[in-house]
Amino acid sequence: MKTQAEEINGVKIDKILVSVFQRRFKSITQEMSIALARTTRSPILCEAKDFVTGLYDARGKMLEQTENLPILSFSLGPVCEYIVRYFGDEIYPGDVIFHNDVFSMGNQNNDVAVYKPIFYRDRLIGWAACKGHQADIGGAVAGGYNPNATEVWQEALRIPPVKVYEKGKLRKDVWDLIFANIRFDIVQEDMKAQIGSCTVGERRLLELVERYGREVFEAHKDYLFNSTEKMMRAEIKSIPNGVYRGEATVYYDGRTPGSTYKIRVQITVEDEEIIFDFSETDPQTAGFVNGTYTSSASAVLLTFLQMVNPDIPHNDGMVRPVKIVIPEGTLLNARYPAATTFGNHLCPPTADAIIRALAPAIPGRVTAGWNQLLCGLVTGNDRRKNSPYVDILFLGMKGGSGGTYGFDGYDHIGMIDASGGVLDQDYEMYEQQTPHLLLKHEYLADSAGAGTWRGGLGVETEIKLDGEKMTCVTFGDGDVEPAFGLFGGKAGALNRIELRYPDGRVHVPLSKEVINNVPPGTVWRQIAGGGGGYGDPFRRPVEKVLKDVKNGVLSIAAAREDYGVVIDPETLEVDREATRALREGR
Amino acid sequence: MNFGNCCERGTKVAYKIGIDVGGTFTDLLLVSEDGQSRIYKVLSTPDDPSEGLLNGLQEMAQDLGCSLTQFLQEVKIIVHGTTVTTNAVLTYKGAKTALLTTKGLRDALEMRRGIREEQYNNRYTNVEPLVPRHLRFPVEERVDYKGGILTPLKREDVHEAIKAAKRNEIEAIAVCFMNSFANKSHEEAAAQLIKSELPGVYLTISSYLLPSIRFYDRISTTVLNSYVGPILRRYLYSLMNKLAEAGFTGVLLIMQSNGGVVAPAIAAERASATLLSGPAGGPVAGVYYTSLHGFEHCLTVDMGGTSFDAALIKNKSPLVTSEGEINRLRIALPMLDIVTIGAGGGSIGWIDEGGLLRMGPQSAGAKPGPACYDRGGELPTCTDADLVLGYLDPDYFAGGKIRLNYDRAVKAIQEHVAAKLRLDVVEAAAGMYNLINVNMANGVREVTVKRGEDPRDFPLVVAGGAGPNHACMIALELEIPVVVIPRESSIFCAAGMLMSDLKHDFVRTYHTVLDQLDKERLRNLFAEMAREGLGMLKTEHIPENMVRYSYYLDMRYVKQYHEVNVEISAEELFAGDLDSILAKFHHKHNTLYGYSLEKEGTPVELINVRLSCTGLTEKPKFLTYEYAGPDPSGAYKRHRQIYLPAQKTFREVPVFDGDRLRCGNFIAGPAIIEQINTTTLITPEYTCLVDRYNSFVLFLNEKRDEYVGRILL
Repeated sequence: MKTQAEEINGVKIDKILVSVFQRRFKSITQEMSIALARTTRSPILCEAKDFVTGLYDARGKMLEQTENLPILSFSLGPVCEYIVRYFGDEIYPGDVIFHNDVFSMGNQNNDVAVYKPIFYRDRLIGWAACKGHQADIGGAVAGGYNPNATEVWQEALRIPPVKVYEKGKLRKDVWDLIFANIRFDIVQEDMKAQIGSCTVGERRLLELVERYGREVFEAHKDYLFNSTEKMMRAEIKSIPNGVYRGEATVYYDGRTPGSTYKIRVQITVEDEEIIFDFSETDPQTAGFVNGTYTSSASAVLLTFLQMVNPDIPHNDGMVRPVKIVIPEGTLLNARYPAATTFGNHLCPPTADAIIRALAPAIPGRVTAGWNQLLCGLVTGNDRRKNSPYVDILFLGMKGGSGGTYGFDGYDHIGMIDASGGVLDQDYEMYEQQTPHLLLKHEYLADSAGAGTWRGGLGVETEIKLDGEKMTCVTFGDGDVEPAFGLFGGKAGALNRIELRYPDGRVHVPLSKEVINNVPPGTVWRQIAGGGGGYGDPFRRPVEKVLKDVKNGVLSIAAAREDYGVVIDPETLEVDREATRALREGR
Repeated sequence: MNFGNCCERGTKVAYKIGIDVGGTFTDLLLVSEDGQSRIYKVLSTPDDPSEGLLNGLQEMAQDLGCSLTQFLQEVKIIVHGTTVTTNAVLTYKGAKTALLTTKGLRDALEMRRGIREEQYNNRYTNVEPLVPRHLRFPVEERVDYKGGILTPLKREDVHEAIKAAKRNEIEAIAVCFMNSFANKSHEEAAAQLIKSELPGVYLTISSYLLPSIRFYDRISTTVLNSYVGPILRRYLYSLMNKLAEAGFTGVLLIMQSNGGVVAPAIAAERASATLLSGPAGGPVAGVYYTSLHGFEHCLTVDMGGTSFDAALIKNKSPLVTSEGEINRLRIALPMLDIVTIGAGGGSIGWIDEGGLLRMGPQSAGAKPGPACYDRGGELPTCTDADLVLGYLDPDYFAGGKIRLNYDRAVKAIQEHVAAKLRLDVVEAAAGMYNLINVNMANGVREVTVKRGEDPRDFPLVVAGGAGPNHACMIALELEIPVVVIPRESSIFCAAGMLMSDLKHDFVRTYHTVLDQLDKERLRNLFAEMAREGLGMLKTEHIPENMVRYSYYLDMRYVKQYHEVNVEISAEELFAGDLDSILAKFHHKHNTLYGYSLEKEGTPVELINVRLSCTGLTEKPKFLTYEYAGPDPSGAYKRHRQIYLPAQKTFREVPVFDGDRLRCGNFIAGPAIIEQINTTTLITPEYTCLVDRYNSFVLFLNEKRDEYVGRILL
């Protein structure tokens, strides 16, 4: 590896300035993220933080991002490059561009991006962008999740790159055209908030460039890319060379109950480069269970990033040594005009396939399986305010992560797509803003997969739905196959959703289903399962098993059955003799 | 400095004392009313911190040639910062605490809203909750978002919890029910039962401590309060008794995290408001020392024996947050925004599994202390490295009170670092010194670069006993051009405490669209909080004409979830001037978030009203000194061999007596300045100039012309 030039384009590199820039880019995207979280109205944005903010250079290359929800994150750069090509030299100061189109590098219809070009002395120097999951995006079903869709127009309004502001002037006609096709008013307000977030990014980057000059900014940014690439290459080099294969199953395409599909990956590690090849993955489905290239590529990156040094800066240099091959027409890269809204949620099985493939190569760095996403969504009318509302019930969806060498899984972390970035709504803000009552939200006993290092705990949630004219949608997985255990560890609990109607009937929906005419007073009961365990449960220290029993997250029966630890139900003391006999006698 | 003998003087002299109890040292600053000051530093006594504190007072009395009783009778005010509560949380040594909360929601405390702060780090674990699950008792009851009762309180559940609490020998209880900010009757009823059955237990009721919306913020803060409450209460009452027995009749005040001080009785009830008590004096002092030279902004860093605190001050006000955290646990009371990392003189050097040198965060503390203290410590610390590199004089540490054992330092570094890395002892010590400096520089980056600020734009005010020895290298790492080392640097926070006002913060949730605001109700809420504040300030002997109020409204556009905190004037409040209030809101929304919806006419709603009550205190005045010329030779002591870190070599450098340096004296690096409690290393890149307050101002050699005039003004 040759050492880096200490001069780029005649600018002498100041190494301290490189780290100042790196941290500064990061802090700007964090500030953009705070601005967005604090100004948006849809709880999926302001509370769950289902959005990403980023800065890009003039060519659209990632400078830094704040990836609250990583699955959206790695699509912003490719779309930025697309926009640069699309508008060519018709990009002006004061422009604001919207984009969601999955057939021009968007990841999901509901994830709508805002791009704002940043000009310094009439010269394009970069972009501020952010993308958030909007409460509605038109299409046949409020909220966007339409399990019956077979093509994109039944799902959403397509927004290829479009200027809503040009040279600082609002294009009212364009704006109105877009929002005439979207159900909820808050979406308009949340898009204004996204523009505001980009303005924050623009202001801050300009301050930086004004202070140091454009040439210094450009040179140090390039140096940063190169040094980050070096770090990533060193990380890849630490994985033994080889070809590794893994697969995972996707259950139910939303059309044919019982249908299954396979995701297959072949990972080639050769010195400092890594290739993820999904060519053997099954063809796309006829329904909405289909990935887009960028959502699938994001799934690959976010899974892989958890296996390398977490301190690597996130910029263009990081992605250079990673190659991703996903042929068009496969489940993970559906061909136009397929329905794809479920695509983000193919991340968990994609992650499973990658983990299974790399587990033999780097056993100390992989986790057991994570709880997969199973989510619900309610739309209806809030009687208290007489206004429509949507609630993506993410309080209910966060299960446990898989255990890893030396560490238990993380309790109640939620799907791997977010990796702990999606937060519960605050309970009181939830009840103030939504006509629902939170009856229960607690860890579920015996939900974690047993292991030397157990999986993270799952959660049981009960919410009384008290809106009018309510429709519920389920979307997700993990109700057929649980989070898998690794190296002797056991699987976590399954996901499950039940609707308990006021008249006593109970409905257990499929993992993708639209439920109409849900009466007020219905209780939504949901189990988000636990993560898989890592290593032989009989080797888990007795004290840790006892602690879980005392805290009521592990039953005495399961302690005996899964861990070989015998505990007296009266005194809650360990019967050491019986435990030894049980553990040794296996 | 001559205080005279307090007992022999005809007229009484009143004293004020600032006391900062740290992990390793207890710092004391004695100021007489004519502006003379003297600093003291004694070893902390972690088992009972009041012992060390009284040792310090005893030393003061001795120096003044009188008995402790005679001396204390002339002390008007003692301001005390304590890390008692902080340490209890960091080491999980708080009170055994139970939580009563709404049935069905008992894991909110531990879940922390399901966040994993390091998204890509699968080895990053959740924090242990302060109350384990089996001590979190569910109570059947329910209040809705407007305060309406859906399910009455089930008293049997409270009785059950009380029984279990007794069985488990619980020392403290926290009560936090859902939506109690809107209706506190269930919490009050539960509190009554608890008080009658467990009269001695330390009880925190969420709707009293923090009556504002957001369940997780409130439950976490309430639990923190109960967890540290008994510890602080015990400590303060024992301290007050000891002081009273010793003859103290003045006022004792406790430093709070918000940068203000408070009477001990109130502090004991609102113990969680002291979680950042120790470092909170620093930023206040930083403002004082840099504004003397016309700086509006500064960075303050404080390197003690155990920890390193960094804070950013812009426009002379330290940043305040009500979204603070301690050990990843939310604390929603207003506090100064300070970053703390585990780096100090006691930080232990060790070799990790990968064979790399690490410094801290473990510290040898006061017991057993660094190896060179010769008190049984065998592990090599930062102080041991400083000694080996020649920065510390073994015979003049703490003014000669602690004799440093050079051989012990060498042995510790040799065994635990040098041998493992196959380096010689000096190389190993230099590695330890450099590494801890880089760690601290990263702490400074946390408060600057991470917030988009360039550290080079700020003068660095350096405090703490170990700080000045590392100041140049931290500044060099960050290319900071100016460093200010106050004369009282070793007891900087103690000085800041004496400059702090009394301060009480209040909050109430009042949710309404601004168009429908009941101005009378708003004024009443403020009046209610002001009464409470005034009452507190009265018990703290603050006359009404010294009370100041700051009014704040948390507002947002309708349907938003988060608020913008806007300060409003008394005139705006009493005139009910909504236009002016709205204009402020729109403007701040735009500044912070890049846009406003003023033109659209989007309705704005109010969520919380907040009041800060400040009781102005009389600040100590420090003396200024006459210009005495550039020549420092009057303070010259001798030459000594020290290691120059950037040049990687030992060199003979002059050593000066810091107490004899005079205003205007110039010292070019490399050099050493010794004071009783601290040693300043001036590296070759910096020049030192003594200002009118006898503080040492260091600037990069090439910036000489820029700074000399400014510093001497």
